[in-house]
Amino acid sequence: MAFVNFQNVTYKYPLTKTPVLKNINLQVNEGEFIAVMGPNGAGKSTLCYALAGFVPHFFKGEISGEIEVDGKKSSESTLDEWVLNVGLAFQNPFNQISGAKYTVFEEIAFGLENIGVPRNEMKDRVDEAMALTGIRDLADRSPYSLSGGQQQRVALTSILVMRPRLLVLDEPTSQMDPIGTREVFGVVRKMAEEGMTVVMVEHKVEWIAHFADRVIALNEGQVLMEGKPNEVLTADLLPEKGFGISRYTSVARQAQQQGLWKQKQLPVTLFEAAEGFTSKGGGGSN
Amino acid sequence: MPERLSFHIKRDSALHHLNPLTKLLLVLTLILTAFLAPFYWTPHILAVLFIPLLSILGKVGREYFSTAIRLILPAATFLFAMQAFFQPVGEEIIFEFYFLDITRESFLFAFSNAMRIVVMVSAFTIFLLTTHPSELMSDLTRRGLPGQFAYVIISTLQILPQMQAKAQTIISAQRSRGLETEGGFFKRAGALVPLIGPLVFGSLVEVEERAIAIEARGFTSKHVKTSLHEIPDTSTDKLLRWFLTALILASIGLRIWLS
Amino acid sequence: MFNKIKGNFNTQTWVLIPIAIAINIAVGQIVVLLKLPVYLDSIGTVLVAVLCGPWAGALTGALTNIIWGLAIDPNALPWWPVAFFIGYMAGRMAQWGFFKSWWKVAVTGFVVALTAAVVSTPIAVYIYGGITASGSSFITAYLLQTGQGIWQAVFSTGFLVEPVDKITTAMIAFAIILGLPKRTVGGYPKPEQVEVEGGSKNELYIALGVVVLLILIAAFVLRGILGG
Repeated sequence: MAFVNFQNVTYKYPLTKTPVLKNINLQVNEGEFIAVMGPNGAGKSTLCYALAGFVPHFFKGEISGEIEVDGKKSSESTLDEWVLNVGLAFQNPFNQISGAKYTVFEEIAFGLENIGVPRNEMKDRVDEAMALTGIRDLADRSPYSLSGGQQQRVALTSILVMRPRLLVLDEPTSQMDPIGTREVFGVVRKMAEEGMTVVMVEHKVEWIAHFADRVIALNEGQVLMEGKPNEVLTADLLPEKGFGISRYTSVARQAQQQGLWKQKQLPVTLFEAAEGFTSKGGGGSN
Repeated sequence: MPERLSFHIKRDSALHHLNPLTKLLLVLTLILTAFLAPFYWTPHILAVLFIPLLSILGKVGREYFSTAIRLILPAATFLFAMQAFFQPVGEEIIFEFYFLDITRESFLFAFSNAMRIVVMVSAFTIFLLTTHPSELMSDLTRRGLPGQFAYVIISTLQILPQMQAKAQTIISAQRSRGLETEGGFFKRAGALVPLIGPLVFGSLVEVEERAIAIEARGFTSKHVKTSLHEIPDTSTDKLLRWFLTALILASIGLRIWLS
Repeated sequence: MFNKIKGNFNTQTWVLIPIAIAINIAVGQIVVLLKLPVYLDSIGTVLVAVLCGPWAGALTGALTNIIWGLAIDPNALPWWPVAFFIGYMAGRMAQWGFFKSWWKVAVTGFVVALTAAVVSTPIAVYIYGGITASGSSFITAYLLQTGQGIWQAVFSTGFLVEPVDKITTAMIAFAIILGLPKRTVGGYPKPEQVEVEGGSKNELYIALGVVVLLILIAAFVLRGILGG
């Protein structure tokens, strides 16, 4: 039984005519790191909301099909139960600051206070989570005084402290500068290495190629393709449909058309491209 | 960066150590006594003697006096002047200024009225100086205030300075684009829309995401909430609260009995 | 009844209220900067009242004055019941369908203004003896000089000052809602109360006509009160 199971999920926001998700079927196994890609309007954020229970419980609207995570059905749960199992973080770090707390330590404890965790356990868990994400030094700062990257790490920590079984991230680095991006990716990677099941919407293709177990390409509310990063990210279908792809892939594709790329597999990362261009002909690049 | 709106100053004083509810009750006692006690000079004594002593007890004397001089005294003086000149009571005119006059009665009325306001505002000021908002909210939540109220109050206190800063930015930006904020009435009225618009719309679109963010952290959880910080409530506190309640009842009682 | 109150409040309501309070205060301060003879310190209150319900609106209003009074200007404190009822009435009017087109919004503004005048009178009289710390007190003072009783003078002042302010407030709130994306409005408890009928330019002219009519009525009534 897959950890996450979407069966024929179709969803329409209230007062709209077209469904944003159309007959989505996908599975995620426990401990997998799934990257989700797609052009604007493909339904990536809606997919994240569906994983996290906000679709349909927060947004209402019309849903059909079944969403299951960790053996529980979304249709049989309430949002306040579901969020204990699935954590959600999204693009704008500022909007994820609760506003209810004056220090980062308290901000992270906010979720635990809400679910009634006893005081001693709370302190330990917050300490543990902050150590995990490397923000111990921010404990006494006001969340509003932090940089974007720091705020996003605080947001992640606030979610992780609740010990979700599934972590859903909707473009967490889109609004970050390069330093912030690196900081956030660092945390996400650490979570993945510790065995957390992660579904992340991300555009940074080279990063996906390194860390994702599988890639799901979403287009117009449907699953266009899914599979290993190197298969999906180098497929010809992607640029046709308006997906952003790695520049190394497009360069190599053009080289391939001119007979200058001799490997079977197109590269995604700089490393693969370099290897492919410099190795002595024939065979796959990995 | 003014990221929080809080008068609270961290000191080590008797008032700081008191439970927030006790301090609230103290404020209430001061206000009710000033407004209800039948003895005429009560508000004056409270304002001029008792409250400054209280501020010293709370080790916030300097801050209180600076607030008093900057904000409270001017407001009270204005009020006093308005009341003294315009209250149509009394016959015995003791001061004249062109067509305005102050009678003995209106003077006394205005004086005690102003003092009452001073007591009210000062009491709250000292309370705010010696109590941290999150401490107050934690304590009230523990006593049964719904968590959503605590959320709203603290959130407002943090958002206010941000909103004011945003407003400043928008005013500067629009001014540099040629918006006129001085001049004729219609010019100034017309400036409203380009100033209010960006301010309001920018803030309203944040709401959905923030609602999702706090839901994701269990805001609507049905569990009994716990609190990270423990706010002490000593026997001194409890005793003090009984005493203050007795004082309030006495004030009310005296008032009714003597009227 | 308690459930009806609860029905005003979902998570988005709780997130909106602090922002609405901040909008109330910030716009109120901008108006002072622009030296305009209005308050415009209830726009947020009306927004909450219309999108969420009368109780949410009332709470927003009350908290605005309490926080403003404690944190910025103590003179705002005693008026919290006025703000409470502004929110409450705006919410009720919206419930009765009076926030769906320009002229209806103008009427809502007028009703809210009346409510504000009524509720603020006893506060002005009992706490301030009739002369408050606001500029409108000069009007009250003048009326008192002409021999008016204190209650008449204070209420007349309110009746004169409030309609322009509250009708403008209501119309600005309506304009804001018109400009919001449907998705944003839909997340609040009572989005159906702002399902706009019209909103076209003609409607706006009709509304302005209604406003003028209301002001004429007010002036007429006022003459009655003053003359009597």
